[in-house]
Amino acid sequence: MNEVIGIIIAAILCWLNFVIVDTYFGLPEQPGVRGAGIIGRDVEKRGGDIAGGFFQGNILCSPDASAGTLMASIGYLLLGIPGGIIAAFLVFIGNRLCADPGYAGTTGSLTATAIIFICSFIGMTPEMFIVGMVIAILTIQGIDQVRASVLLGKIAEKFNRHA
Amino acid sequence: MFDLLYNTVSVASNGNFYGLVNIGISGFDILLAYIVAIICSIIVALILRLPLLPSKPYRYSFDVSAIYPTPIIAIGILSLFLVLNYTFMYNGLVLAVIIGVLSALFVKYLFDFVFPKPLSEDNGEDINE
Repeated sequence: MNEVIGIIIAAILCWLNFVIVDTYFGLPEQPGVRGAGIIGRDVEKRGGDIAGGFFQGNILCSPDASAGTLMASIGYLLLGIPGGIIAAFLVFIGNRLCADPGYAGTTGSLTATAIIFICSFIGMTPEMFIVGMVIAILTIQGIDQVRASVLLGKIAEKFNRHA
Repeated sequence: MFDLLYNTVSVASNGNFYGLVNIGISGFDILLAYIVAIICSIIVALILRLPLLPSKPYRYSFDVSAIYPTPIIAIGILSLFLVLNYTFMYNGLVLAVIIGVLSALFVKYLFDFVFPKPLSEDNGEDINE
């Protein structure tokens, strides 16, 4: 598969994977740690959505499905499917060190491993998923935090997880 | 420099395009070992009187249980042994059972010592607010 097309598809898949898993496990509902709450209220002060702000603060302060997807891609590149499962284990340890129960991180890693395995049959490589995940995190945290938080707040309302 | 980086990564990932190629036992045996490790860890955890599900509310509970995190620890450790291509006897089944039992014991007796629960809002020191 053409690399550029593959990276675009991988970015969309990674974005859907980590946003759906993180929203389902309640990241927009409440800040897990104090830093996440401060980031969320700051984003709200700049005109964003409080639930989207809590989401952004939570994925910044502890390894959730976003970090899980990235680490599963790297583990799959190096070690195959067992690498993805090792990534889930390491994300779980990191979660517990960051005062987070860790449901979102481990689930995100395992679903990302499954997605990469399924997509390998249509010729997509784990490298494309690493690049795609970096692009996906950039759209949430990097380009325009306020508008991203509004979008995340709408998604949280759909899942009935708004703050 | 970029050639060196590219070669290192491509050698490391060589044959991993569909995963599992560098492991000595077949794909079916690997799947069986994972399933045995998961089931064995859950059963031993239930025998040790861990609850099946975490306490409510499920999504914010720090309590350990038989469903989570026992199987995650078991398959994570088993993966480490598999990628090192160390699969003891009977195509890894004995290893899967041993790891399942040990991970259940770890979760029951050592988990709270290794990963203590975070302080609650009342006990922690207040930085602001």
